[in-house]
Amino acid sequence: MQAAPVSALGTLADPPARMVDGAAMDYLLIEAVNALRVSSAVASARAKKIERDMVEAGLVPPPPPTAKQQNPRDSTSSTSGKISGPADEDEGVRSRLEAIGMHIGGNFVERLCRDRPLFSDSLDVIKFVCKDLWVSCWDKQVDNLRTNHRGVYVLQDNAFKPITRISSWEGRQEALKRAKLYVALPAGIIRGALSRIGFQGTVVPEITTLPQCTFQIKLPKNI
Amino acid sequence: MATTSKQYKAIGEDLWKSRTDKINSELFSLTYGALVVQLIQDYEDYAVVNKQLEKMGYNIGTRLIEDFLARSSLGRCSDFREVGEVAAKVGFKSFLNITPTVTHSGVPPPSARPTSTVQQSGVPGSSFILTLDENPLAEFVELPDEALEGGLWFSNVLCGVLRGALEMVQMQVQVEFLSDVLRGDESTEIRVTLLKYLEEEVPVGDD
Repeated sequence: MQAAPVSALGTLADPPARMVDGAAMDYLLIEAVNALRVSSAVASARAKKIERDMVEAGLVPPPPPTAKQQNPRDSTSSTSGKISGPADEDEGVRSRLEAIGMHIGGNFVERLCRDRPLFSDSLDVIKFVCKDLWVSCWDKQVDNLRTNHRGVYVLQDNAFKPITRISSWEGRQEALKRAKLYVALPAGIIRGALSRIGFQGTVVPEITTLPQCTFQIKLPKNI
Repeated sequence: MATTSKQYKAIGEDLWKSRTDKINSELFSLTYGALVVQLIQDYEDYAVVNKQLEKMGYNIGTRLIEDFLARSSLGRCSDFREVGEVAAKVGFKSFLNITPTVTHSGVPPPSARPTSTVQQSGVPGSSFILTLDENPLAEFVELPDEALEGGLWFSNVLCGVLRGALEMVQMQVQVEFLSDVLRGDESTEIRVTLLKYLEEEVPVGDD
C-alpha cells in the first residue's frame, strides 16, 4: 500500500502504544489502597497533632465538644455507633483515590484527544467518555447511557472491569463494601477527564450488585 | 541442562505475547506517579516514602511470584546467576514489557564462613545488577530539587517487588538502587545481593 519509508516515518511520529501487563496494574492498585490507608492515617494524625499544639499554645480556641455526627452519605456505617473511626479513615482513602484518579484522567484524556476535533456539546463529551475513555481504560464500552437532558447523565456498566474480580471471604456484603471504595479511582478518572475537557462536574459512583456499576454525572448547565 | 540467555529471552517474549490482559503503560505510569506524589504529601519525609514504597513493593512481590510461577512453569533456578537471568529476561518482560540487562557480580573470596547447608550452588554474597534502559514507572517524570536532595528513589517499589518475590522462593536478598536517571545519573541500576537461603517453613497454624 504505502512505500516503506513513509510508514516507517509514520511509526516514528506516532509510535504504537507501549503496553504493560494488566495484572501488574491490578496488584499495584490493591497495594496502593493499603498504602494510602496507612499514609492517610499518618497525615490526619499529624494534622490533629498540629491542631492540638495550636490549641495548647492558645493560638486557636479549643473546639466545642462535638457530638459525633452521623455521616449521612456513608452508606456503609453500621448501627453500632462506633462509625466515626473507620468512616473517617475511609473518607481519607477515598478522597486520595479520587485525587489520583483525577490526575490520571486529566492527563490520559489529553493524549486521547490529540487528533480529535473539538467537542460540539456536552452530550458529545459524554459519548466520548462512554466510548473512547471506557475502551482505553477498561476494554469495553458503557452498556447503558441515560440522561434527563438537563445536565444529569447516568452511565451504566454491567460488568465494570475494576470490580469484576473483587471477592471477599467474609461474603457478598463485605465484597460490596470494599468495592465501593475501589470505584473511587475510576470515578476520579472520569471526573478528571471531564475537567480537563473543560466541564467541571461531579461524578458519583454507585454499586448495588457486583459487578454492575453506575456513574451519575452532573454537568453544569452553561457550556 | 543450562538454559541459555537467548532461550530465556524467547520464553519472556512468548509469555508477554500470550498475555491477553494488557493495558496502556501510560495509565500505569500516571497511576504510580500520582501515588508517589500523594505519599510524599502525606509523609513529608523522603526516607519514609522510600521505605513505604519498598514495603508496598514487597507485598506486591509476594503475590506476583505466584502469578509468575503459574504462567511460566519454570523450574527452580540452579544458581543465583540464573535467578538474575530469569528475573531480567522473563520476569520483567512478562509484567512490564522491558528487558533490563544483567551484570553478574563475583562471588566473595573463599574465606567466607562455611556454607554447609546450601543445596544450590550459589554463595551468599553473590549479586547481580539490573540496568534498566527504560522504566515505564518513570515516564513523564521529573523530580524537583527537594526530592533530589531528600534522597527519593522514585521507582523503589521495584526493589520491594524483587525482595518479596525472591523471599517467596526461599531467597533472602537485599535489593537497592545504585543510580537512577531521574536523579541525573547516567543509567538506572538496581543491585540484588543474596544474603542467604531460607529454610522451608510450615506456615503458622497450618498442620
